[in-house]
Amino acid sequence: MSSILSIQSITKFYGKIRALNQVSFEVPAGSVFGVLGPNGSGKTTLLGIIMDVLKASGGSYSWFGSPPSERQRQQIGTLLETPNFYHYLSGEQNLKIAAGIKGKDPGDIPRVLELVKLTERKDSRFSTYSLGMKQRLAIASCLLGNPQVLVFDEPTNGLDPVGIAETREVIRQMAREGKTIVLASHLLDEVEKVCTHVAILQRGQLLTAGNVNEVLVNEDFIEVGAEPAQMANLQGLLAGLPGVRQVKPYEQHVQVFFGNGVMDTGELNRICFEKGIVLNYLQLKKRSLESKFMELTEEKTSVSAAN
Amino acid sequence: MLKILRVEWMKVKNYRTFWILLAITIVIVPAVSYLLYNLMNNSFPKVKGKSILGSPFAFPDVWQTVSWNSTLTFIIPAILIITLTTNEFTYKTHRQNIIDGWSREQFIGVKLIEVVLLALLSTVVVLLTAVGFGYFGNKVPDGVSVWAGFRFIPFYFVQMLSYSMIAFLLALLIKRAGLAISVFLIYMLVENIAVAILRNVYKLNGADFLPEEVTDRLIPQPYLKALIRPEETARWEHLLPVYLVVGAVYFVLYCLVAGRSFLKNDL
Repeated sequence: MSSILSIQSITKFYGKIRALNQVSFEVPAGSVFGVLGPNGSGKTTLLGIIMDVLKASGGSYSWFGSPPSERQRQQIGTLLETPNFYHYLSGEQNLKIAAGIKGKDPGDIPRVLELVKLTERKDSRFSTYSLGMKQRLAIASCLLGNPQVLVFDEPTNGLDPVGIAETREVIRQMAREGKTIVLASHLLDEVEKVCTHVAILQRGQLLTAGNVNEVLVNEDFIEVGAEPAQMANLQGLLAGLPGVRQVKPYEQHVQVFFGNGVMDTGELNRICFEKGIVLNYLQLKKRSLESKFMELTEEKTSVSAAN
Repeated sequence: MLKILRVEWMKVKNYRTFWILLAITIVIVPAVSYLLYNLMNNSFPKVKGKSILGSPFAFPDVWQTVSWNSTLTFIIPAILIITLTTNEFTYKTHRQNIIDGWSREQFIGVKLIEVVLLALLSTVVVLLTAVGFGYFGNKVPDGVSVWAGFRFIPFYFVQMLSYSMIAFLLALLIKRAGLAISVFLIYMLVENIAVAILRNVYKLNGADFLPEEVTDRLIPQPYLKALIRPEETARWEHLLPVYLVVGAVYFVLYCLVAGRSFLKNDL
């Protein structure tokens, strides 16, 4: 079995509003799978469906190669949307309930509380916790029983920078141990640091999915700049170069994207100089997931507007 | 299911509100009967040392009397059921229980079991209260069978279960404690008024089969029995099986609506 989670053509309507449209992808075992998208893209809806909190309007999904069941969910540590606990009970009492439902040993509770640094507040009522503490308790609940699969929806929500770094380290540690992690997040730089695979959603549509390296393939680009008087000539020259896929002009520089690989910067500098354009700025840049995400979502928006 | 009940126990055993409402649910049963017992003995005239209301707190009438008195307290267990159920929606723990590894069937199933257990507990308290009044409050009359009117105890269970299921269903559908309690109270009042109008103004006996009324009919008021005509008693005896069957149909309906609401909808 290579896929921990298989999603086939999931569609979800809220009344007339289509929140998800034929979304399909596979989550490989041992991957850290990022589900990305702007607000309203359907990330939480999708995670809610695969945890049987929401009912899909169409399509299906399977965990561990089998039809979904509550026994499977007992093997998955999940943090969905907000921490949900009994306000009148303490942190430890809430974790005992979670352990009871998951069928896990309550003896594991001290370990997970220590992992999220809530040991000192374990006997305090949940209603007295700060937002960060509530989030950390939710993460602790996910880790009960050391599950092999984790599903996190915005796990760093409400955490301070130290908490974010610690959560990132917990996720990395889980990944090193070979666990499969499904991670929905707005924080694209965080996702980029830990994820091996991504799926990008916008308005319920799957824009792309796959290995991070594949999604970002051929995404290195070159930024060049010249004197204002030469910028127009520079753009024209760059657009005509072989292998150039796209030229994006900005106020003081131009970004050049190539269809396959990227041109050697020295070669580009030589070509420009031979054509009488003196470059005052030249830099090879790696495409970030954030910029790819922005490009994809802007393209989709433009296409939708045109149609 | 035992494991699930153990988890449900963990939810309430440290919840002060649960213990307060449970204590009131238990204590109010003998308290109401004691209040009415004193009222009867001290406020009503006696003839040859006996109250004109008869001996409703003696065997065999005490079963009916205590059962009927206890139906005046249904609001307390209803509030308990509504509070515990709506808490799950308020804290969104109904979602978390499913996410953590219960099926929707297990969640709704254990809640239904809790409603039945509460009705059973209340019934046991009524039974013990009736025994207390029958044996310790009054001398058992000679030649009287202590068990003659015992059927009112299971009738009480049926009525308590019916009220509890209505409360549970309202909590499940409305999801807010204050609103659910208000709707529960208003519904009880409105149905009582509707029954009175339909029966007395429009002479429609079908009013007997409204959801709350059909189980209310199982336990007639025990005081002033002398004023009840024999044909009314005979009619009641004749319709008893019908009341029970209709009550059972409503119970199945409540379960189906509760099940469908929780099993099919988004949480």
